[in-house]
Amino acid sequence: MKIAKSFKLALNILVHSKLRSWLTILGIVIGVAAIVAIVSIGEGLKQNVQSRLQGMGADQITISPGGGRAQGGFRGPGGPEDDHGGGSGVTSEDTKNLTKIDLQVLRSVPNVAAVQGIISGRGEAYYLAQTATLSVQGVDPTAYNEMTSAELESGRFLGPSDYNAIVVGYSIASRTFKQPLALNRIITIEGKPFKIVGILKESGSMGGDDNRIIMPIDAARDTLPDMDPNRLDTIIIKAATADDVDQVTLDADTKLMMSRHKTNSTKDYSIRSAKEAQARMASISSTLTLFLGAIAAVSLLVGAIGITNTMFTSVLEKTKEIGIMKAIGAKNRDILMIFMLNAALVGAVGGLLGIALGTLTSKLLPLIGLRLMGGGPGGMTTAVTPQLVILAFAVAVGIGIIAGAIPAYRASKLKPVDALRYE
Amino acid sequence: MKPVIELKKVYKTYEMGETTVEALKNVTLQINQGEFVAITGPSGSGKSTLMNIVGCLDTPTSGTVLLDGKDITKLSESQLAQTRGKKIGFVFQQFNLIPTLNAMQNVMLPQEFQDTDSAIAGKKSKQLLDLVGLSDRMTHLPSQLSGGQLQRVAIARALSVDPDIILADEPTGNLDTKTGQFIMQTLKEINKNNGKTIILVTHDLHLARMAKKIIMIKDGQVEKIEVNK
Repeated sequence: MKIAKSFKLALNILVHSKLRSWLTILGIVIGVAAIVAIVSIGEGLKQNVQSRLQGMGADQITISPGGGRAQGGFRGPGGPEDDHGGGSGVTSEDTKNLTKIDLQVLRSVPNVAAVQGIISGRGEAYYLAQTATLSVQGVDPTAYNEMTSAELESGRFLGPSDYNAIVVGYSIASRTFKQPLALNRIITIEGKPFKIVGILKESGSMGGDDNRIIMPIDAARDTLPDMDPNRLDTIIIKAATADDVDQVTLDADTKLMMSRHKTNSTKDYSIRSAKEAQARMASISSTLTLFLGAIAAVSLLVGAIGITNTMFTSVLEKTKEIGIMKAIGAKNRDILMIFMLNAALVGAVGGLLGIALGTLTSKLLPLIGLRLMGGGPGGMTTAVTPQLVILAFAVAVGIGIIAGAIPAYRASKLKPVDALRYE
Repeated sequence: MKPVIELKKVYKTYEMGETTVEALKNVTLQINQGEFVAITGPSGSGKSTLMNIVGCLDTPTSGTVLLDGKDITKLSESQLAQTRGKKIGFVFQQFNLIPTLNAMQNVMLPQEFQDTDSAIAGKKSKQLLDLVGLSDRMTHLPSQLSGGQLQRVAIARALSVDPDIILADEPTGNLDTKTGQFIMQTLKEINKNNGKTIILVTHDLHLARMAKKIIMIKDGQVEKIEVNK
């Protein structure tokens, strides 16, 4: 019998199947939907993290004070940090700030395009009779402009000759004060007037400057409270190319250890590249996806057992028909093909419905506020990728075929005489 | 006349737990091309077993069965199915149509198992349904047809691949007398007009008398063969 005819007969069985078969299909639908929805959360998380990390720039290396080697937790650039972990035995009391000397040392590392020291702090800002404590970053304008991935909403970046000028992040400009900040307005920070020369576009990313005021480093040193003239809170190195990042990280680390008279175990700073952080986050989210996917796979397994069960019943129910078909010339192979195709169809229909349901669920999930998983701006995102759809469909059909194999084989082996006698 | 089916020293035994039942004992018979033969006998006589072997649905424990001179006991299961599908058309007491296929699809089915081209199969099936007077019922499902109509679809199906032999197992058993007579008449016409060999299996002696040759089975053996004039 031709495969097209077998397919038609298999489809005929499916179309005329009883409620029980549809319940079986429902098992597959739920299993596939669960996998699609769960994996889409993982994918969304991965994309979310990646897009947020992109704000850091793949060719940049961040050095912050505080102990800890590579095994410490992920930290964004900027902001004072103290790290009690990492097994280095360094506590916050031992932590020494980064200094301008470190900056000089790092400038001599080969394949470095630029190095900049940043100081961070919080300052009280006053604007139109309203005060707010804001995060302030002091940067070297020339190096900052070269390294930043931020884009301007309006105005300009800081220039080398600026002093009383600031660039404000999008959130601060639009949300912090009742009256949105505008270009050329004067805002008072720690009692000193600053002119807003630029407003950044919303970045939404982890390394972004949405909630930050950026000012020249000299101005920051003079303005922010408790500033040591040599202190730097973060040093960012930009490697010549993204490919140099690993080597530059290594060289910078070595030089810094030498100049600070530290060894690997007494190190009082941490150095990490965005690339490394990206890889780590990607691996974390993959593990999470895999774990969640495995849970969903259990429901698919239950669905598969359901198919097998229903197929066995179906074969039993159709024993007489199998006998008839064999009497009028069906070969074992024909019967096997019809029932295998039927099982594959059950899987395919279940898979398609499951993908539809899973996609729908994945679209609805962010709306019902599972915000904790995604975090950050925009909350949770989910992504149903074409690969996921193809994979889910293939798995559903595959499960149908595997689950249907034994019942179909049994059906094909029925003796026509016995099958015809079956009531 | 050319023999279409020959049984030589056929034995069929069934193992029923500890005991062995000999359903057929040393059966030798011959059915010729174009004959209308009835196989009859009381229930338990081995009539059904004989029908299964004659219809190539089952193979004997020992002995040979020649279909068109070829020994079918040496065929594999698939070859047997192929041969059966091509050479023998079945008409059952229970009609045995596929309930989820309509009349037309049921008639086409044997041709599809023989890989006949769809267009040819469709045309042929239409002609056959026309022949049995069901051209207006082609798209009806078996559940929408009466007993007589079902049996006529079954006859059309049996003729579908143009087999040499039509094997009818109690074809009127589930029908009222009048419809039964119509079916018997149809079978007779097929025998007369199309030259098909008809093998009628029935326990009803009265019905068997409609055949030219009556093979009477008792206790697994051929009791006697009557020839109607």
